[in-house]
Amino acid sequence: MKFRSERDALAEVLTTAGRAAGGRGTSSVVLSGLLLRSEGNDLEVTGTDLDLTIRVRQEVIGLDGGACVVPARLTADVVRSLEPGAVTIEGGEDKVEISSARARFGLRAFSVVEFPTVAAPQEPMVSLPAGMFAEGLRQVVRAASTDDARPLLTGVLLTGGGGSVRLVATDSYRLALRDLEGTSSFGAENDILVPARALGELQRLPVTVDGERDVIGMAAGPHDITFTRGPVRITTRLLDGTYPDYRQLIPEHYPNRLHVGKENLVSALRRVRLLVRDNTTPVRLSMRAGGVDLTVVSQEVGDASETVDGDFSGEDLVIAFNPSYLIDGVEAVLDDEVMIETADPSRPATVRAAERDDFRYLLMPVRVA
Amino acid sequence: MTAEGAGGGPLPVGVGRWVRAILHVDMDAFFAAVEVLDDPSLAGKPVIVGGSGARGVVASCTYEARAFGVRSAMPSVRARQLCPHAVFIDGHYSRYVEVSGRLHDVLRSVTPLVEPIGLDEAFLDVTGSQRLLGDPVRIAGRIRARVSEELALDCSVGIGRSKLVAKLASRAAKPVALPGGRRPGPGVVTVPPDEEAAFLRPLPVEALWGVGPATARRLHAVGVRTVADLAGLPEGALVRRLGRAQGEHLRALARGQDPDPVVPDRPAKSIGHEETFREDLTDLAVLHRHVDRMAESVAIHLRGQGLTGRTVSVKVKRPDFTLVTRSHSLPFGVDGGQAVAAVAGALLDALDVSPGVRLLGVSVAGLQPAAAGRQLTFDLAPPETAEHVQGSWEGVLAAVDAVRARFGRTAVGAGGVDVPARRDAPWGPSAGDAAASTGDPPA
Repeated sequence: MKFRSERDALAEVLTTAGRAAGGRGTSSVVLSGLLLRSEGNDLEVTGTDLDLTIRVRQEVIGLDGGACVVPARLTADVVRSLEPGAVTIEGGEDKVEISSARARFGLRAFSVVEFPTVAAPQEPMVSLPAGMFAEGLRQVVRAASTDDARPLLTGVLLTGGGGSVRLVATDSYRLALRDLEGTSSFGAENDILVPARALGELQRLPVTVDGERDVIGMAAGPHDITFTRGPVRITTRLLDGTYPDYRQLIPEHYPNRLHVGKENLVSALRRVRLLVRDNTTPVRLSMRAGGVDLTVVSQEVGDASETVDGDFSGEDLVIAFNPSYLIDGVEAVLDDEVMIETADPSRPATVRAAERDDFRYLLMPVRVA
Repeated sequence: MTAEGAGGGPLPVGVGRWVRAILHVDMDAFFAAVEVLDDPSLAGKPVIVGGSGARGVVASCTYEARAFGVRSAMPSVRARQLCPHAVFIDGHYSRYVEVSGRLHDVLRSVTPLVEPIGLDEAFLDVTGSQRLLGDPVRIAGRIRARVSEELALDCSVGIGRSKLVAKLASRAAKPVALPGGRRPGPGVVTVPPDEEAAFLRPLPVEALWGVGPATARRLHAVGVRTVADLAGLPEGALVRRLGRAQGEHLRALARGQDPDPVVPDRPAKSIGHEETFREDLTDLAVLHRHVDRMAESVAIHLRGQGLTGRTVSVKVKRPDFTLVTRSHSLPFGVDGGQAVAAVAGALLDALDVSPGVRLLGVSVAGLQPAAAGRQLTFDLAPPETAEHVQGSWEGVLAAVDAVRARFGRTAVGAGGVDVPARRDAPWGPSAGDAAASTGDPPA
């Protein structure tokens, strides 16, 4: 196997596929490698840890067809470090040679036969506008749990409930929900629980084609799902289990509403958060006519407060939140104006856009003494 | 820092420097004395602090109450029979914590080597303080004077070259309850190394650490009743009787050899409760009830100090004295008995208890101030996890605390938990991982 490629393009595909390659803790050393397969002028780079598989296609100057498995991290590091220009990769049975104008690296390669073949569902079930889907993922994935002790909550629920695709994630402290309006439903019986990690990778894929042609295709099998966007294909195992009934958490009615400018609120929250040294120190929001006062009191560090102007209707109240969770929610709102709805200091608040109903971010308060 | 004497009389000076000098400082009837301090109309009356409910226990009592036979850790019902006209008080824990803080400030001004035992006792290693502050007797007198001056409370001090001797000496320094009042004790009792043997020999073997009722019974059976009897027993006989670990340990103690160092208290790293049982326990169900009870006790202590802890540990000492510890860290701090018990119970299940359990302990570390706030959660978690228990039991916890404050600590157990009103159940746990001994020692 031998091909030539431009350094930056090659570095990018190695990096993208490398995100799925296992780290040092993988069960088999071959999983820390990337499978490079070239045929004609097509290069295919695949990384997998058996749960997540990323395959990227790239056009190269093909010199000799074939395959080899290279150490993922080292190869990407080497290619990135080369001088700009053409890079030639020539893979043999147990060795791969990487060369540019003046530099040459001979790296030990892994066995191609041992590299696992991960079956990917092929039939596209639904196509979604990539921009909107990526935007929804950016809003929702952040609310998924990172605690492996609660595997179900490390997933994002894709559900076809209300005629459009809905994304839901919660770590039990906050819950983010986005309806992708105008997308075709894939049936209420098709609730799919996708690991947030895979969607995080999907969300960060670069835009390679513009406009209507930029779509994300989804094909789900009983245990796996494949997403394709341009030259990239991401396959992941689905999480198995019944997602908690999130609908019962959403309050039907809120007595209190605060309207504030999104940028003002986020920057004020970021400032007062500077005093937070552990994740138990909350920010207190005193909501009243005319706006909201933010206060952080950190026992060892000091205190900070700031007023953000806004409109408030309802009963004055003081409610406290984990500032990072609140910032996550406010940032996710796709509007210049944010609405925070509250009931009382121990029930969930909702953060959303004032004028749109397609995104909601429920946040449990912090109870303060 | 002006008063040099306590209780009058010049202090003996010039005993000479000790190679190792340990002080044991113990407040006299601490909780009850604080109550009398805060309400002078109680002075001279029998005052009992503790659970006044059907299953409450005495946490502390004044010497006037002791004159009627009331003792710490006695069921309140029994105390009421003995002394029906006593004033029963539920106690003001946060106030005791506050006074205790001032006590420890005084102690730490003498030496940084202070090891607090609960709220009202501490060991001090004053070996290195002698050059600056004089001999241990002078230091003890100075401590008593400052406690009396700044806290308006009394304490007793024992001095020895080991923690064991110092502790026994402070007991000998205590006031004595007499019908109609109290007779002041010596206040300070010093046991220099050359008088150690004479001091220890007449004491009952139960005075030694590690001699509980079961061990005492085994020793009594071979005619060993005093420390002198024990010291006179051939080593082989003792080891055959009690096993090598305990036999050798007791033999050393009987000779006044207790190398256990004074471990200064960094800001409390853990809050724990542990007990040595009368009989080795093997029944898992019984052990679970003890874990639940200890978890409750630790949780009360946590909330009393406004703390939450993330790491729950269970400690088991087997009959052969081997120690096993299991811990689990949660992603969040807990301060609820059910939450602590849920984790500790699971940890207990992970231990092999078939050889028997001599000592059981539950502790919580990874302490953080609870006042910072508690992140509430959606009601999603499966019911058996600690997170769920913590989240949805908050109201229950507050209610249970309120009921306990009114009716005594053992009045309300969690559902299905039989909270035994055991005579040897301490009223509360100790701070730190040291042995549980809170409240006044049974005089």
